[in-house]
Amino acid sequence: MTEIWHGLTKAIGLIISLDPEVTEIAGRSLMISLTSTLLTSLICLPLGSLIHFKQFPGKRLVISLIQTFFGIPTVAIGLFVFILFSRAGPLGGLNLLFTPAVMVLGQMILITPLLLGLTIAALSGVDKVIPDTARSLGASGFQMTIIVLREARFAVMATVIMGFGRAISEVGIALIVGGNIRGFTRVITTAISLETAKGDLELSLALGIILIFIALIVNILLNRLQPR
Amino acid sequence: MPLIETVNLCQNSDGRDILKNVSLKVDRGEVFALIGPTGAGKTTLLRLIDLLDLPTSGKIYFDGSDVFESGKRKLEARRRMAFVLQKPVVFNMSVYDNIAYGLKLRRVDKGSIRQKVGRILEMVGLSTYQNRNARTLSGGEVQRVAIARAIVSEPDVLLLDEPTANLDPVSTAKIEQLITDIIRRDDTTIIMATHDMSQGQRLADRVGVLLDGEIRQTGGFQDIFTAPGSREVADFVGVENIIDGVIASNDDKVVTIDIGDNVIAAISDYAVGEKVYACIRPEDVTLALSRISSSARNSFSAKITRVVSRGQLSRIEMDCGFPLVALITKRSTEELNLAATREVYAIFKATGVHVIKRKSD
Amino acid sequence: MSVVFFLTEEVPVLKKTAVCLSGIFILMSLLLATSGCSSPRAESSSPLPPQLRLRVATTTSLYDSGLWGYLEPMFERKYNVELDIMYAGSGKALEYGRRGDVDIVTIHDQIREEQFIADGYGVRRVPFAYNYFLIVGPSVDPAGIKGLTPEAAFKKLMETGKASFVSRGDDSGTHAKEKDIWAEAGYDYEAVRNAGRWYIEAGTGMGPTLMMASEKQAYTLTDIGTYLTYKGKLALVPVVDKGSLLLNVYSAIALNPEKMPQAKIDMANNLIEFLISPEIQEFIGNYGIEEYGTQLFTPYVGSEPE
Repeated sequence: MTEIWHGLTKAIGLIISLDPEVTEIAGRSLMISLTSTLLTSLICLPLGSLIHFKQFPGKRLVISLIQTFFGIPTVAIGLFVFILFSRAGPLGGLNLLFTPAVMVLGQMILITPLLLGLTIAALSGVDKVIPDTARSLGASGFQMTIIVLREARFAVMATVIMGFGRAISEVGIALIVGGNIRGFTRVITTAISLETAKGDLELSLALGIILIFIALIVNILLNRLQPR
Repeated sequence: MPLIETVNLCQNSDGRDILKNVSLKVDRGEVFALIGPTGAGKTTLLRLIDLLDLPTSGKIYFDGSDVFESGKRKLEARRRMAFVLQKPVVFNMSVYDNIAYGLKLRRVDKGSIRQKVGRILEMVGLSTYQNRNARTLSGGEVQRVAIARAIVSEPDVLLLDEPTANLDPVSTAKIEQLITDIIRRDDTTIIMATHDMSQGQRLADRVGVLLDGEIRQTGGFQDIFTAPGSREVADFVGVENIIDGVIASNDDKVVTIDIGDNVIAAISDYAVGEKVYACIRPEDVTLALSRISSSARNSFSAKITRVVSRGQLSRIEMDCGFPLVALITKRSTEELNLAATREVYAIFKATGVHVIKRKSD
Repeated sequence: MSVVFFLTEEVPVLKKTAVCLSGIFILMSLLLATSGCSSPRAESSSPLPPQLRLRVATTTSLYDSGLWGYLEPMFERKYNVELDIMYAGSGKALEYGRRGDVDIVTIHDQIREEQFIADGYGVRRVPFAYNYFLIVGPSVDPAGIKGLTPEAAFKKLMETGKASFVSRGDDSGTHAKEKDIWAEAGYDYEAVRNAGRWYIEAGTGMGPTLMMASEKQAYTLTDIGTYLTYKGKLALVPVVDKGSLLLNVYSAIALNPEKMPQAKIDMANNLIEFLISPEIQEFIGNYGIEEYGTQLFTPYVGSEPE
């Protein structure tokens, strides 16, 4: 118990004093995961709408496939991206392995099924008459998609926030494709993993507290978004 | 040139024919009512006309040009129409923004939007609600927003699908008044679907009867009401007495119809031997307690089997060798002391009998 | 039903948007990659183009001892380069090298290092420091191996089969050394792995393995540098520290640009020159004396082990 208390007080001290290493790692985590969430949203909201509104053979299969990938292990994606971007791999020439960019890409792959699936679910939650109403009032396909997304805005925002939560809390991809390089690709989760293994509990605890804090904020946002 | 013309429209869904060869013409400024029972295909037809769906086959001409030529043409045509769906929904935004939506889609400038929306809000009587979220409105108010939202873009054609279904009588009256105002105010062409014949009668210039996905008859309301073209139309427009028979004689269009044990006199062109239906509207049947001499050609002794009270009217069901229904005032029922098992005389004129040719099946 | 058809006719806008978005995505990815994201060091100096990053895969014992924490900024300042240090056991470091994912490796596994060069992946092997391995364990010494030679100690561990031993199990240089000792002791390594629950494969770096051995009160093989660095956190004492088998040499190998055209041979050579320069050799020799009271690494140049 004393170890935990000792560690906790020191950890909180690190946060309050804005320890440069803690803030740097937390800032990088936020930056990378916000970027991946933003980019994935830009792709998945239109793509999810397309899947939702377009009728095509195998649509159900596609949707259940997407749902299957909700829980895909992060290390599996990490391995896949590693093989892809390693110098010996097909995209090795891009020189992206062990960079934040490839971490962003890995997280994007990770949360794409989640964002697609939940976007489709969010749109399905909108009254079926809304798309017809919009078109009957003169909306083009694109304008109709916009208004339906707007009607589903709470659910869509919740989707994006959930994607962010998954992105920032994953460790497998960040470790494998980021390489956990101090000052470059080290993020909260990989730092916790390394520092805990090395026995540096204060830094781990400080970062853990920040991660929980971020999760808390995400949850508060989600709750506030629930339409009353 | 009709504003809207459909040619042999067919719609097939899951192997079921919902519309069969629907050909319709609606002129500019006309108010056309599609009547038919629930499930006849009215909504499907309106959706096709508004270009929300593609027909399985057939063509639609809007203002003379084929709308299926290109996606652009379709959108242009749709933007000249407005469709109030049967189950109106409002967007989760203010009443004002709901009504302004169609104008924003058409990139109308802000000032004009404010002016037009303001005018429409006044017309539908929702000015004080303009900043309220439309989701908080009652059913009748939602319907008014839906209509306001449709007409604010001043469409050439207004499509209404059961505009008063599921509304209370007060709201229904308000909506009908609103539609009347729209008809009177500008020359908007209106195509409305309704299963309420009296609504069609009150609002429409012309009526099309849609039964089982087919247009069976079009024409003025009175024509259809008094001279249904087929047994099914007769059934739908409420002709309760439809009796099978064969023309027995034709004396210069005054015919007698052999209906088995009895003979009915009627006016018709059909030749002797033609299989027909004799249609008699219940309100055209008069009842008397004793045999009276009158100009009416048809008089049958009958036994009352049932009396059903319907507001100020009574529905008298009788057996005169064939079943016959009469509709008379409640007052007459009381004065004549009509009740089941009473013997009466049922009288109707030969001109009150509408003769329809029976299809040989 | 209602929306079955619209996409075929009216949705090119949506498709165009999707194409635009993917374009934006690729652009942003490249921007991110070249700007080095949010590295505070990159911000304090000017942002570095990617060719000025040198990627080193280093054995975990060098990393966990904290030595790189000092060498990294010194080298970066001297050559105005961004040094990316990857924490990897020797096996993983060599694998990164074979795949061309790093520019230089600093490891301690002579046999595989020579193989790596023979296979054409590395240019030459440049030793720059050495120290000795230790077998550490609980102070009560449950297996009674104190003072034995390493091979005799391993033999006894195997025979008693009770006292736990934590193996790195990560194909690292230390792990290779452990296998050498087992071989000297006369055991087939596969047999050791399957000998029983006392033999624990951690699959992680030197520091974490020490932490685990301490938690489990088990023996483990460690380099002295990492052990001293972690000593304060451990309930482990040196048990076996004598024997020629325990020599531990750290070398740097630059990747062969003939095989890996993208390898930054010039900067890698700079790093090697830097490591064996008198100044740094002296720094390595003095590293840790102040803190731990003893030398962690012996400089290689001028004092080669016999």
